Amino acid sequence: MNAIVHADLDAASKIQVKELNFYYGASKALKGITLALKANKATAFIGPSGCGKSTLLRVLNRMYDLYPNQRAEGEVLLDGQNILRPDLDLNLLRARVGMVFQKPTPFPMSIYDNIAFGIRLYEKLPKTELDGRVESALRRSALWDEVKDKLSSSGLGLSGGQQQRLCIARTVAISPEVILLDEPCSALDPISTAKIEELIDELTDDYTIAIVTHNMQQAARVSQFTAFMYLGELIEFGETDRVFTSPHEKRTQDYVTGRFG
Amino acid sequence: MSFYPARRRRNSLWMSLSTAAAALGLGWLLLILGVLVWKGLGGLSFAAFTQMTPPPGSDGGLLNAIVGSLMMTVIGVAIGAPLGMLAGTYLAEYGRYSGLAFIVRFINDILLSAPSIVIGLFIYQVVVAPMGHFSGIAGAIALAVLVIPVVLRTTEDMLNLVPNTLREAGSALGMPRSLVIQKIGYRAARTGLLTGVLLAIARVSGETAPLLFTALNNQFWSVNLNAPMSSLPAVIFQFALSPYKEWQQLAWTGALIITLAVLALSVTARMLASRGTVK
Repeated sequence: MNAIVHADLDAASKIQVKELNFYYGASKALKGITLALKANKATAFIGPSGCGKSTLLRVLNRMYDLYPNQRAEGEVLLDGQNILRPDLDLNLLRARVGMVFQKPTPFPMSIYDNIAFGIRLYEKLPKTELDGRVESALRRSALWDEVKDKLSSSGLGLSGGQQQRLCIARTVAISPEVILLDEPCSALDPISTAKIEELIDELTDDYTIAIVTHNMQQAARVSQFTAFMYLGELIEFGETDRVFTSPHEKRTQDYVTGRFG
Repeated sequence: MSFYPARRRRNSLWMSLSTAAAALGLGWLLLILGVLVWKGLGGLSFAAFTQMTPPPGSDGGLLNAIVGSLMMTVIGVAIGAPLGMLAGTYLAEYGRYSGLAFIVRFINDILLSAPSIVIGLFIYQVVVAPMGHFSGIAGAIALAVLVIPVVLRTTEDMLNLVPNTLREAGSALGMPRSLVIQKIGYRAARTGLLTGVLLAIARVSGETAPLLFTALNNQFWSVNLNAPMSSLPAVIFQFALSPYKEWQQLAWTGALIITLAVLALSVTARMLASRGTVK
């Protein structure tokens, strides 16, 4: 019955998480999480450290699969397809669901290759077309003007904020459908942070975004939906304005007003 | 405060003891190098690199020994380094959490400190005895067995220094595991990997014992891998023990050449390592 009632909501959902449990060995890190990420919207995950928000993000592209003893139970549907299926092609999944990490992770190669590398994984393009794709990815992530004269120098030589935008460009370049951002600004200064927030706002035109953040203002600024998590449970989920101004739960209110966490 | 003067005295005592120990160690090393240069430099002529090892009582050079050493070292490293590198890759990347990795790591540690004469005897049994004669290829295989554990260990250590976040970033783009290792892991650790190979070359280029049981020696020019082959360490061993002046001089010269070559390799390895690209 429920399925019919929610049919409308489901149509606009890019990702649906249903009764998701997650284990690190024997310890349970996520407890019965159910929520949906709307297409072309940014959803913020907030909550104190250790509440499971990064863990949830790492389920959405099966990043946890790199490690033994980590396992997920339940269902995560991407366009209606369960991505927790054991026979799923993880590389194809990750091409559709990109991820940007807390610490900037440029590859030890040139700025150009950092971006061209990902594109070459999926497409064989003539040089001029590849150049165009690299340029548009860099423009997309507001980095082009700063690096256009040194595309062949190492990506490791950029500043932290530039490196993070390079990582976003790299993710955008392979045209995923969903972009996961795991505290993308926590290592950056306020100016770089502002640039990246602006970028996130623009990216929602084309992508579905999930962002984990410790910064409440950031969640309020960049997201349309907010999920508040605590000790592995989803406490409250709804439109960002609502969650921040009139939360239903006392714990949410305490957290967003800075009373704990 | 009353403890202070005593503590100070104790401090200077320990400091002088450890400084003296360091100076003593360094002193011997300098002494060895000094004697080597003193005795060897005289014979370090053009002829040493162009002429064959002479019969007793006449002049000659070390060409066949140098070429033999180079050939066996190059082949040994060509066989041993890829094996060590692949095994090290398994330990650091694929099998990091597996039981097999634990066993391989343990055995490798034993192999790393195994006396090289044991390796020589082993190759004698499995290669020389079935072939029926000593040969250059047997020498190269013995050296390869010595190269494997060194390269394996450095490969594993260097790949472990590559941050996991970089691997995750590669996987997050949808790269298969093998590509993450090749394009990101190896690239981030490349100077470390090269250092490991250089250190392995330095290690085997002075080995005598495993060659005596495998390649033996050859007084004449020979690049035939199927026949006994000359090498610097073996020539040094033979000539240094001889009663002939010319041979003894050549032994000193050979020792100097090996030492300089190893020194150059070690310095290069150090320079590469300190420049390190692992970030």
